[in-house]
Amino acid sequence: MSQHSLPGVQFLDPAVLARIGNLELVARSVVEGFLGGLHRSPHLGTSIDFAEHRQYMPGDDIRRVDWRLYGRVDRYYIKEYEADTNTNFNVLLDVSKSMSFGSGTATKLDYARTLAACLAYFSNQQRDRVGLVTFDDDVVEIVPPSAKHLPNVLHALARATPQRAGNIDRVFRKLSEQFRRRSMLLIISDFYEDPRKIMDAMAQLRGRGNDIMAMHVLDKAELEFPYDGATSFEDIETGERIPVIPEYLREQYRTMIRAHIAEIERFCGDQGVDYQLFDTSTPLDHALFAFLSRRQFLARVR
Amino acid sequence: MAFLAPLFLAGLVALAVPILVHLTHKERKDVVVFPSLMFLSRIPYQAVRRQRIRHWLLFALRCLALILLALAFARPFLNRASAATPVSGLGARELVILLDRSYSMAYGDRWTRAVDAAKRAIGGLGANDRASVVLFDGTASAATEPTADKAVLTTSLDRVRPSAGATRYEPAFKLAQRVLSESKLPRREVLLISDFQRVGWDGRDSPSVPSGTTINKVDLAEPKTSNIAVTGVDFRRDYAEDRERVAITARLVNRSAEAKTGHAVTLELNGRVLETKQVNLAANAAAQVEFTAAPLPAGTTRGVVRSADDALPRDNSFFFAISRGQALSVLVIDHREGGAPRSLYVERALGIGSQPNFRVTTKRLGVLTAADFVGRSLILFNDSDLPGGELGRRLVEYVQNGGGLLVAMGDRAAPRARPAYAEQLLPATADAPIDRSGDRGGTLGYIDRSHPIFELFSAPRSGDFSTPRFFRYRSVTPAPGDEQLARFDDGHIALLERKVGRGRVLVWTSSFDGIWNDLPLQPVFLPVAHQLAKYAAAYADERPWSVVGQVANLPAIFRDSTGSGDAANKADYVVVAPSGERTRLDGAAKRSVELAEQGFYEMQRAGSRGEPRVVAVNVDLTESDLTAVEPELLAGAMVARAGADSASSGAEASTPMDLERRQGFWWYLLAAVLLLLVGETLLSNQLSRRIAVPR
Repeated sequence: MSQHSLPGVQFLDPAVLARIGNLELVARSVVEGFLGGLHRSPHLGTSIDFAEHRQYMPGDDIRRVDWRLYGRVDRYYIKEYEADTNTNFNVLLDVSKSMSFGSGTATKLDYARTLAACLAYFSNQQRDRVGLVTFDDDVVEIVPPSAKHLPNVLHALARATPQRAGNIDRVFRKLSEQFRRRSMLLIISDFYEDPRKIMDAMAQLRGRGNDIMAMHVLDKAELEFPYDGATSFEDIETGERIPVIPEYLREQYRTMIRAHIAEIERFCGDQGVDYQLFDTSTPLDHALFAFLSRRQFLARVR
Repeated sequence: MAFLAPLFLAGLVALAVPILVHLTHKERKDVVVFPSLMFLSRIPYQAVRRQRIRHWLLFALRCLALILLALAFARPFLNRASAATPVSGLGARELVILLDRSYSMAYGDRWTRAVDAAKRAIGGLGANDRASVVLFDGTASAATEPTADKAVLTTSLDRVRPSAGATRYEPAFKLAQRVLSESKLPRREVLLISDFQRVGWDGRDSPSVPSGTTINKVDLAEPKTSNIAVTGVDFRRDYAEDRERVAITARLVNRSAEAKTGHAVTLELNGRVLETKQVNLAANAAAQVEFTAAPLPAGTTRGVVRSADDALPRDNSFFFAISRGQALSVLVIDHREGGAPRSLYVERALGIGSQPNFRVTTKRLGVLTAADFVGRSLILFNDSDLPGGELGRRLVEYVQNGGGLLVAMGDRAAPRARPAYAEQLLPATADAPIDRSGDRGGTLGYIDRSHPIFELFSAPRSGDFSTPRFFRYRSVTPAPGDEQLARFDDGHIALLERKVGRGRVLVWTSSFDGIWNDLPLQPVFLPVAHQLAKYAAAYADERPWSVVGQVANLPAIFRDSTGSGDAANKADYVVVAPSGERTRLDGAAKRSVELAEQGFYEMQRAGSRGEPRVVAVNVDLTESDLTAVEPELLAGAMVARAGADSASSGAEASTPMDLERRQGFWWYLLAAVLLLLVGETLLSNQLSRRIAVPR
């Protein structure tokens, strides 16, 4: 699939998007041209799309009994339909200091908040309830899911500022107690954490029945390590410095980051989490489309 | 080339810094902020460190800058040999070589090194330079006059050997000062070749060499020395049946940080080895060796205590000369009448002494004969009349020939019974004694503590003279020339001295019997009795040895055998030094000889065939302490008065101009460092600009 195969999709450079201050405008710019129907609701409800049969349980509405099936098998079954609306769509945005890194014009956080805004806009267009959680080593801000909270979400996204180091494990364990209703969770982070810890934390959310999408946002410099000359590298979160000669470490670094990404992806696959790596140098619309297409494909497979 | 501060060369260790920088860091100033170091920190650091040096030129510049910086701080200067080389335009040089020849220079190979250093200095003389050699120990003497003839100077060194003297720096500097002040040459230098013993400088000597004089030093002291010295001997005499035996105890000092065990010490008397003993010496400690008592033969006995050989042989032998007859013979004469003798206290008091040993004989006046006076050192008339007639005449002769006479005037010493010659010996005495029993007795009100008799009691709490009570005493009228040594509290004379011929007469105006006073019952009686007897008998402690540098006064040594003092002063003498050198002292001009050698000096009146007088001479044992003083301190003291002068460490020192000229390299080195650092900055900036972050 080529980058511009989708008709009607504008090519939007992340750097250009970063210069647009209004997130709603950005989201609209990106989303226009996409088809409606971003997702299916994880809740089963009344709609025209049949989902499955379930054995009749005392107390069920007898109007939902499939009498045709009763005629065939002589047992009571209830027909259930997939609900495609009224879903909680929560964005979990990592605003730790590492997200403030950007070797180009746009930082990872800029890219991430555009992503979040776009997807929140989509969901809201589908009349989903949209919410937002920003976090670093703790929860920074929560916008509860609501059909009317898109402006709040966009406002919170615009306000998000990287201040502290991140701790996904701790935050996710805390949030797993908070999301009592099954939701769609969109996690946007650079995932600088041990993959096992990340997966343990996601498993907490997943265990609550949430549908999780993981968007791994990394800068091109983080992926390719293009530095040269003896330099001190300073950890943006801890301030720790180590002397590095990049030309002698580059290959080792690339191998390690690739292994890290592959491991996260593998864990996500095992947990049924949709995972996508986003390179901030890649145009946003293409990356978004690739993700959604893949998700729709996976949804059918599942 | 040498360095003033070689410790700064340790700064060369800093060369490791650029190497490490090039191999490990190679950091730029700008720090790359990165989202996470979780991957970078996992890469082993060793993999980073083992890098090759890429910018060799930059590396060489940095290393060279550090090397030059360390060298500049170490203050390089020209060494002595090159300094001694004549520099065109600087003018001729007056060099004074001060060569220490004290006996400590015989330690190990110090003397060889000292002569070599002096010859090197002579070899470095320029065509217009002059030099002189000054030898010094306790005194200083010029071996040569200032000369440009190197052969003369070198030959003067060949004849010299270490002496037996101790080190003193002041005479040497004074002589150098004189030589330099008389010199017309523009440059003046002193080369001090010594082991820089601390004992040679008391810290107060400050002879100043002329302003502008360079003081060079050749320090021959070893950092670690070891020396064992025999520092003295003690004699313990005992007399049994007219035989005199002496037990000799030697003292040894170990001046080293290591203990010595089984160190052999030998006693020789008159050339015969009597006994050898082994002694254990702790580090920096002393020990005593006691030899078995041996009978003393007649005449003077020459003794040597020898310690086993070590690096400094001079102080291994200790010489002494002792002779028999050190006992003082005292004749105590009691009153002629019957009754209890009153000499009990005096006899007992003198019987206790051992230094000297008093041999006391008591006789009644009535049984006294002229033969009793023979061989006596002291005759004590204890509350007795004086003998008349021939006996009286012999008594006067005895005193005039140097005998001692002590007269105690008690109630029996009746003035009326005095013979005619008594006025020659005794002062006039009143008939009736002064009775102080009514006022509980008098006390001694004045004592001449500067007199040899009472000198012993001059220190605080040494002899309480306020306790004895004197109830009676006789009033005497002194003649001109009589010396009043003690008076009672009422002003009457207690003790009076009169010199008669070569003898001494002491008159004690009270008694020694405990009747007219309670002096014999007081603690002070014993030392007073000893002092009175020794002084009246003109007793002098035998000096078993002298020290190198002292002077022997020959008339004083031979006075007892030549009769009158005039005869001793006019006699000619022959002195034979331990080395065998024979010296004849003719006429009255030279009456003394300096004891410059270690060993036994023999002295004799010219023409006499009797046994020579022997004087044992030992080296000054302060010299055996090899502790050295900082050469800079000594040189600093020398130039202190000159103000503008200075002394440097090691082998060089200079006047300000010289100093600056010879040490001025550090300026050039620092300038080179500056240039290198500028070059390094430019080069490293250029290299840095080639690198982009990120690429």
